[in-house]
Amino acid sequence: MSKNLTLTLIIVGLALIILTTFILKKGRISEKHALLWYAMSILILLLGIIPNVFTVISKQLGFYVMSSFIIGVFIGILIIITMALTVMIAGQKKKTTLLIQEVSILKEEVENLKKSR
Amino acid sequence: MKTGDVMEKVLLIIPAYNEEENILKTCIKIKEYNKKHKTNYDIIVINDGSTDKTKKILEDNNIPHINLIHNLGIGGGVQTGYKYAYYHNYDIAVQYDGDGQHNIRYVEKIIKPIIDQEADMVIGSRFISKIDTFQSTFARRIGIRIISMFMKFATHKKIYDTTSGFRACSKEIIYDFSLSYPSEYPEPITTAELLKKKYRIKEIPVEMNERQGGVSSIRYWKNIYYMLNVCLALLAVKIRRYKRCQKI
Repeated sequence: MSKNLTLTLIIVGLALIILTTFILKKGRISEKHALLWYAMSILILLLGIIPNVFTVISKQLGFYVMSSFIIGVFIGILIIITMALTVMIAGQKKKTTLLIQEVSILKEEVENLKKSR
Repeated sequence: MKTGDVMEKVLLIIPAYNEEENILKTCIKIKEYNKKHKTNYDIIVINDGSTDKTKKILEDNNIPHINLIHNLGIGGGVQTGYKYAYYHNYDIAVQYDGDGQHNIRYVEKIIKPIIDQEADMVIGSRFISKIDTFQSTFARRIGIRIISMFMKFATHKKIYDTTSGFRACSKEIIYDFSLSYPSEYPEPITTAELLKKKYRIKEIPVEMNERQGGVSSIRYWKNIYYMLNVCLALLAVKIRRYKRCQKI
C-alpha cells in the first residue's frame, strides 16, 4: 500500500473520530450510534497504521489490489448500516403513528368534555 | 342494528382527506338513512390532516370526528377509527368512504353475516356479481386480478375484490386492527393476514358509485407501483407466522 494511501486513511480515521466526538458532545447522536462510528473510525485508522495485516487478509479473500479490498469492506459496512437504519425508520414510523393517533383521540375527548361542561 | 332482542353497536369509520366537496353529503345521507330505516349507525369521521375546509365543515355541522394532528395516510387514519371503536366498545365497525363511493343501503347487508356469526369480516365486493355499475379502468382491473392471484397463493383463498375499502368487522377484529394495521395498502394486506389467522371472511356483492369529487388516493400512474408493493407484501404475509389476538 502506498504511503499516500496510508496517510489518507490515518487522516480520515482521525477526522471521523473528531467529528463523532463533536456530534456526540452536541447531543445530536446517541451513544449507541456513536459507538458504531468510533468502530468505523478505528477500523480506518488500523488500515492506515498496520496495512500489512490487511494486505494478507485481502489476498486471502481474492482481492488483487488493497484499495479494492478497502472499498469492498466499506461498501459492505455501509450496506449493513443502511439496512439497520431502514429497520429503525420503520420502527420510528410505527411509534409516531401510534402517538399521533392516541394524542388525536385524547384531544377530541378533552374537547368534548370541555363542551359538555 | 336490531336483530331479535340484541342491539348491536355499529360504527361507520369514515376516513377523510380533503373531502370538503363530499363529506357533508355523505354524513347527511347516513343521517337520513338512519331516520328513515330506524337504524342507529354511529359515525366517526377521521379527518386525516386535511388542508381544505373539511375540519370546519365537520365542526360547524357537529359531525362526530377526530382531527389527526398530522396526516397519517389511509392506513393510520382508518386504524384511528378502529381504536375509537375499540375504546367505545362497538360490536361492529364498518369502513365507509367519505367520498360518496359507498352506498349506505348496503351496510345492513354487509353487517348481517357478522351479526349472524357467519363471518368475522365482510368485504363489500364489486367483482363477484354484475350488479355493480362502478367503472374501474382496465389497468386497475388487471392489477386487482393479479393481486387476487397473489392473495390466493399467500392464503389459499380466492378474494375477488382485494382492494375494496367497504368492509365490516367483528369486535374481535376491531381489537386486532386497533393493535396493528398496515400504514400502506391496508386492504389486501389485512385481508391476507386475517385469512392466515383463520378468521372467516365473506364477500358480498355491492354496488359502488363513481367518486363524487376530489381525487382518488390511487392515481392511475401509481397503479403498477401499487401492485408491485402489494404483491411483495402478500409474499411477506405468506412467509410470516400469525397468531390471533386473544384479549378483547
